[in-house]
Amino acid sequence: MNYYLRRTIRIPATILGVATLTFGLIRLLPGGPFTQLRIQLRRRGMDAQEINARIEALQNIRPDKSLPEQYIDYLIGVVQLDLGQSISLNKPVIEVIGQALPWTVFIVIVSTLLMFILGVLLGSLQAYWEGTTFDSVGSGLSILFMSIPYYIYAVAFLVVLAFSWRVFPTSAAADRSIEAGFTVAYAVSVLHHAALPIISFTIGGVGSTALSMRGNSIQVLGREFVEVARLRGLSDQRIATRYVAMNAILPMYTGLLLLIGFRLGGTVVLEEIFTYPGLGFYLIEGVNANDYPLMMGCFMVITIALVLAVYVADMTYGLIDPRISVGDADEY
Amino acid sequence: MSSHSPGSQEHDNRQPDPILEITDTNVTYTDGESYVLEDASVSIHRDEILGIVGESGSGKSMFASAILDAVPDPGVLTGQLRYNGPDGTVDILGLSDEQLRAFRWEEIAMVFQGAMHSFNPTMKIKTHFTETLQSHDRSVSEGMSFARELLESLYLEPERVLNAYPHELSGGMQQRALIALSMVLNPEVLIMDEPTAALDLLMQRSILSLLHDLQAEYDLTIVFITHDLPLVAGIADRMAIIYAFEFVEIGPRDAIISNAAHPYTRALLQATPNINSPLEAMESIEGQGPAPANVPSGCRFHPRCPVATEECESVDPALEGAESNRHRVACHHVERAREELTVSTDEAGAFSATESTTRPSTDGEPLLELSDLEVHFESSQGLPEGLIGDPDVVRAVDGVSLSIEPQDLVCLLGESGCGKTTLGKAMIGLQEPTGGSITFRGDPLDEHDDARAALQIIHQDPSSALNPNRRIVDILSEPLLHTHPNASIAERRSRITSLLERIGMTPADAYIERYPHQLSGGEQQRVVLSRALLMDPDAVLADEAISAVDVSLRIEIMDLLLELQAEFETSYLFISHDLSNARYITEHAGGRIAVMYLGEIVEIGTAQRLLTDPRHPYTEVLRWATPALGLDTDGDDEPPVREIDVPDPINPPSGCRFHTRCPVARETCVDTSPELRDCADVDGAVACFRSDPDHQYWESEPLDGASERPE
Repeated sequence: MNYYLRRTIRIPATILGVATLTFGLIRLLPGGPFTQLRIQLRRRGMDAQEINARIEALQNIRPDKSLPEQYIDYLIGVVQLDLGQSISLNKPVIEVIGQALPWTVFIVIVSTLLMFILGVLLGSLQAYWEGTTFDSVGSGLSILFMSIPYYIYAVAFLVVLAFSWRVFPTSAAADRSIEAGFTVAYAVSVLHHAALPIISFTIGGVGSTALSMRGNSIQVLGREFVEVARLRGLSDQRIATRYVAMNAILPMYTGLLLLIGFRLGGTVVLEEIFTYPGLGFYLIEGVNANDYPLMMGCFMVITIALVLAVYVADMTYGLIDPRISVGDADEY
Repeated sequence: MSSHSPGSQEHDNRQPDPILEITDTNVTYTDGESYVLEDASVSIHRDEILGIVGESGSGKSMFASAILDAVPDPGVLTGQLRYNGPDGTVDILGLSDEQLRAFRWEEIAMVFQGAMHSFNPTMKIKTHFTETLQSHDRSVSEGMSFARELLESLYLEPERVLNAYPHELSGGMQQRALIALSMVLNPEVLIMDEPTAALDLLMQRSILSLLHDLQAEYDLTIVFITHDLPLVAGIADRMAIIYAFEFVEIGPRDAIISNAAHPYTRALLQATPNINSPLEAMESIEGQGPAPANVPSGCRFHPRCPVATEECESVDPALEGAESNRHRVACHHVERAREELTVSTDEAGAFSATESTTRPSTDGEPLLELSDLEVHFESSQGLPEGLIGDPDVVRAVDGVSLSIEPQDLVCLLGESGCGKTTLGKAMIGLQEPTGGSITFRGDPLDEHDDARAALQIIHQDPSSALNPNRRIVDILSEPLLHTHPNASIAERRSRITSLLERIGMTPADAYIERYPHQLSGGEQQRVVLSRALLMDPDAVLADEAISAVDVSLRIEIMDLLLELQAEFETSYLFISHDLSNARYITEHAGGRIAVMYLGEIVEIGTAQRLLTDPRHPYTEVLRWATPALGLDTDGDDEPPVREIDVPDPINPPSGCRFHTRCPVARETCVDTSPELRDCADVDGAVACFRSDPDHQYWESEPLDGASERPE
């Protein structure tokens, strides 16, 4: 059996673990499931019998069942992609996630790629011009930008560009008056709405990527094979791309994929600030409303995304770096 | 300094035809204040091999970079470098960037020390060749067929090597691929900066002899830069000695070896362990070479020179002709140096001078006894795989039996990957054996409580063996706390001070407060040695303990090991890949050398017996691979092995493991494996059918490429 197969088998195992943890942790939260709803319903003057019936209908797990039974039910639900019914939105959780996830993925992938590309370009230029004013100013700005958390940019942009200057919208993923579809008007609207979240999620990351790219490139530039390549008379362009950039980016590649996974979770605050209807936004909604099925669904999706990102990184690293024979990656 | 141009100086009967004329060339740093190459004036003759010898940090690599105008920033190169190529004379320093780009590799190419680091790790070897051809506007198909020809003449399989990534090749293969890469544009001059230093001796010698062939075949001029004088002496036509950033002696090889004029050259010749000269003649050079910032005034060698006078302290001697203008030397006292400093290569018959002092084996029980010891490594695999497939097994040590007496010295000798370190570690209990048994003073090693303290180790690299955050006194207190738990701080301190003084680190009071990084490599190794000995061990494993130390200091460290052996009454397990070092230490201690090949001991005996009367073909091969300082040696002999590369230890050859490379292997050796048997007429034991005159080996057919050679 080879490494790829082994690595693939490990994924369901990880997801099972995650599902178990979400199930357990959320049940440990104070309040217990449906307390909030029960209070609300009671306030409306509903009698206890009716409340119980209502709650039973709402969820895929019955609170009167024993914990193991609930657990089994929950797992069966997960396998069938049935994550229960959102209490606050009164819709199946999987439907809510299905609508929210594409927006979040869009924001995260675009901003992470942008961050990586800009960071790599900036970092390599700094490395080539090591010690120049450009380098020191670049490093200074990188450190400054990366030390400010992304939500500060988000709030600042929102206040200045959206509320004061009204250049960008303040909420939603697209203009509601434009019908969704592959039209130019809709695409422009989507980009217009996503611009601020993407920019604020990118700036800080550019700084840190640039710094590590700069460090890696300077290290590679000092390596003997670059010197030998120069003596062999290769063009500067080939040395810059095939020798320096390739070897400097390689160690950052796994980091990039992991970052995409981690940043999925980071959208919680971002989407809340921009009222952007993504996964993070609904996660907060779920937390605020004690909407357990929704929370668990969002947690599950974010973790599965992370697990898949690590999986893709593991699978492809061997293809990208020939030194890593799959399975025993002792370098990096 | 020589103000003459070298061209006018070097007229003699052979009419030199310089391909490179280097005149008054300097490399300076920090605004011209410190010189890392000073007033180099050398001419390199067409189609010669010029060997440049110097200690580490003597500026010899800077000389190589200077020839290609590739001095690393912020170094400044000044002087005159003229190249007389097939298309007329070129002033290298006057070339434009684009001209220089074309000039390098087409006219002068360079081979670096670490082939590993000379290839882009993310590119196949083939791409390195094609991109080089493309950037010099050469035809790729023609160039590649030339490359294949080169690779083949370097004993490599072209297709396999070209389609491999650098890390998939062994060190020796990489180095040969790099040599082929440097020659792919058919340059006139090849500059080689320590091209073999990272390799095993056998591989070094094999590459050297291949170089010699290549040089003749493709009319190359080779500049061979090394710290290893005997190595280059085998192939060089002329030699230049560099000391403290200056050339101190240049001349024909024979003149340098048999009639060296500079005291430094004579000391170097004397300091290098080699297998031809008598033991008592070998001496190390005191002190070490200066750093560029504090070069001594006058003659730079005067602080270390035994014949130095006041004149030497103030007046810098010029590099001028000694006898003829072909042999130039920078010394005021050539005559006295030749009279007072003897070099043992002058006389022949080295072995008559040495007495074999084999210690009679003690009657008591052996200190350590290994029987049929095995250490097998399984390549790491996860759980599901381990349950299904057969794991790959590396037989690092495969059936070794050996006994070590108290105060014995056994040297394990072999190429890298032969399992000598694993065997050594298993012997001192650092590596769990997977089969066989080890007894320590009659009891199984793992049942002995004292064994851990009684068996100590000295690692190859002293700087990583010492905790960088602790002072020497703390490092050395550790073993004393164990052996003398009741000693007071003052007692420990005085014990440490006296030991440091004993091993030549004076003033000891200054040394004990220092941290490891404040010591030189040789001093660090002494501290490591002291740390091991303060445990009062019964045996010490010295794993390549002198390989990381500069050549001129190796003898000194080995002498220290020997002196302390008597004092501390310990046994040594000395691991080495170098026959001349192994010979030096075993012969002095009256020990044995055990030659290892792919996890097995193939021959064991006294150093003298192995050198004069080797019984195993592999021992003979190692003997050939060890450079001998002498005039009769020449690099053009073929390597006496049928395959240069060591077979994969995961799938070792059947029968006798050496049969794939053995020059005298026969059909019998393919499927039957010889056992280690005591030699009938001489000391030691050997695992070869040839030692048995009645064996069916003699009736079977020689293998492809093997010679008959009946004996």
